[in-house]
Amino acid sequence: MSNTQSLLTIEELYASVEEKQIIKGLNLDVKPGEVHAIMGPNGAGKSTLGYVLSGRDGYSVESGSAVLDGQDLLEMETEDRARAGLFLAFQYPVEIPGVSNLEFLKASVDAQREARGEEAITSAEFLKEAKAACKQVNLPVSFLKRGVNEGFSGGEKKRNELMQMLLLKPKLCILDETDSGLDIDALQVVAEGVNSQRSADRSFIVVTHYQRLLDYIKPDFVHVLSDGKIVKSGDASLALELEAQGYAWLQKEPAEDELEG
Amino acid sequence: MSVWLENAIARGQGADDWLAPKRTQALELLAKTAWPTRKTEAWRYTPLRSVERSPAKASTVAANLLPTSVADLSAIELVFVNGRFDTTQLTDDLPEGLSITLGKNLSSGQQGEALANISTIKPERHLFGLINDVLSQDVLLVSVAEGVHITQPIRISSLSSQGVESHTRVFVNLAPNSRLTVIEDTHAQGDSLTTAFVEYQIASNAYLEHYRFALQTGNNVSIGGSHFNLLDHAKMHSTLVGFGSDLTRIDTDIIHAGKFADAKLNAMYLLDGKELFDLHATVEHAMPNGTTEENVRGIVADRSRSVFNGRIHIHPDAQKTLAELNNRNLLLSDRAEINTKPELEIYADDVKCAHGATVAQIDKQALYYLQTRGVSRARAQVMLNFGFINELIDLMPNAALAEWVRPMIRERFLQMEVN
Repeated sequence: MSNTQSLLTIEELYASVEEKQIIKGLNLDVKPGEVHAIMGPNGAGKSTLGYVLSGRDGYSVESGSAVLDGQDLLEMETEDRARAGLFLAFQYPVEIPGVSNLEFLKASVDAQREARGEEAITSAEFLKEAKAACKQVNLPVSFLKRGVNEGFSGGEKKRNELMQMLLLKPKLCILDETDSGLDIDALQVVAEGVNSQRSADRSFIVVTHYQRLLDYIKPDFVHVLSDGKIVKSGDASLALELEAQGYAWLQKEPAEDELEG
Repeated sequence: MSVWLENAIARGQGADDWLAPKRTQALELLAKTAWPTRKTEAWRYTPLRSVERSPAKASTVAANLLPTSVADLSAIELVFVNGRFDTTQLTDDLPEGLSITLGKNLSSGQQGEALANISTIKPERHLFGLINDVLSQDVLLVSVAEGVHITQPIRISSLSSQGVESHTRVFVNLAPNSRLTVIEDTHAQGDSLTTAFVEYQIASNAYLEHYRFALQTGNNVSIGGSHFNLLDHAKMHSTLVGFGSDLTRIDTDIIHAGKFADAKLNAMYLLDGKELFDLHATVEHAMPNGTTEENVRGIVADRSRSVFNGRIHIHPDAQKTLAELNNRNLLLSDRAEINTKPELEIYADDVKCAHGATVAQIDKQALYYLQTRGVSRARAQVMLNFGFINELIDLMPNAALAEWVRPMIRERFLQMEVN
């Protein structure tokens, strides 16, 4: 593995939100095809990492680097990061009434095809693909006509995120607490969808508070994020250890801030 | 007193046709009405300079103007050209139970009946309504017989040539248990001044589906009103789509004159450049158990200005009223202006009444979400703005009209983006 080129390399990353430092010297190396789980207590900076990597307004990088497939992520606009192959599945997907799911999906796919110098997909062809994706994530086709996430249940929103992932075929997927608010059936659907997308050239960062999701999506590596940096790394067995013992034994001092979200 | 108004009054005097009694009434009221200034509440944010400066002149020259074509809309066309009803564009094959005629063609007995109805729904306080009383050449009368459902929509187009001043007037009567769809549309070629007023009497259990399109832009002054009187269990669903112009002002009045009446009004306007659009919507709940739902959304760009005044008046007898008014605005530029004023006056104690007005910039979270999927910021802004209006377009009952207006609105967003 060591001579394979990395897909994502994060080195000594420091980042803050509203002048409060949240990420404090984070290092992570993800190679193509790997699944990394990032676990940690609330307030550790788990969601912040996804926002920083995707370039959300208000999240500023103080120092360090993040390189995706040879490109400096931190210098790019949010949309260019997506076009470079980054996908963030949101913990709380945004509702956009008035913009249909289908229009949203097609605009996303079109933008990414255009960035790759490909021709726009025809509406008929896209509809076919979108219907197939709906079926795969177990959402009724009628959801394509509804406003983006508008009135969707928690599980439906997560499945809609997954559908976007299926259509966009990113290189690196960050799943931000995708398991939160899901019952066991919905969790299985989402996990199956993710597993179906695992391949030698696609990597995943699975951010989660609980070990449960990792029963369904088997990680190659598990990292513990605490107070803005990775304090321990291991294989899948580390997750079970955390489940049994909690996070406290890994923390120098308890995380007081609850900035997660 | 303004020169323009003096001139209008002078032109309205002396005509000796069937409408003379109405004109005399209106002239008397006009004589007592002061020309609005910034201190006149109904015109506070809407200066009338563009009326006074308008180069538009009444014209008797025939012009060959045709209504806009709308794909898949097979309407009964009522066309006014420069204020004159164009009988050649009216089909002689009207559906059973629908009658359409100019007042001047009625017997004097029928004219007397018509005179008893005209201007009873349109409130006297509308200055330009009075001017329209004085200057419209005739009144077009549309009537649906009891129990008749007219499936083909009626479209009333007020078309003006360059530089023409025109005044059109229609009265629509829906007899009990009848159904009708009416589309009001105004188009002008520039430097025009138009007043277009339509009154609707909606009898018990009747249903009116209504649209008003005020899509003329540029150097036009367009003033008008749609006024609805609802009797017991009458229903209406109205959609208003507006772009601004030098001055566009619309007054809608919905009067719950019967019990258990139901009114829905969805209005949307999109302004660019230095356009001005002013909507005054008034709802009178005079009788019990009525419901009103009003959704008004505006987007203003560049240096444009919008005015919305939404008044709901619940009279003492109007117990068990449900009334909701919502005005949401998006401001796309620092130099654009939004003036919004909800006004509730409630004199009954057992009612549910809600109102709200918001002015916001684009939803940053939604913008970010779209960008994380690869959509450019500029494109995402257009999508979100469009979505804000599209929600209301989706509620239009007539699919052909929705599909007609949707691309025009999309086009307008793209222009608003360039500026």
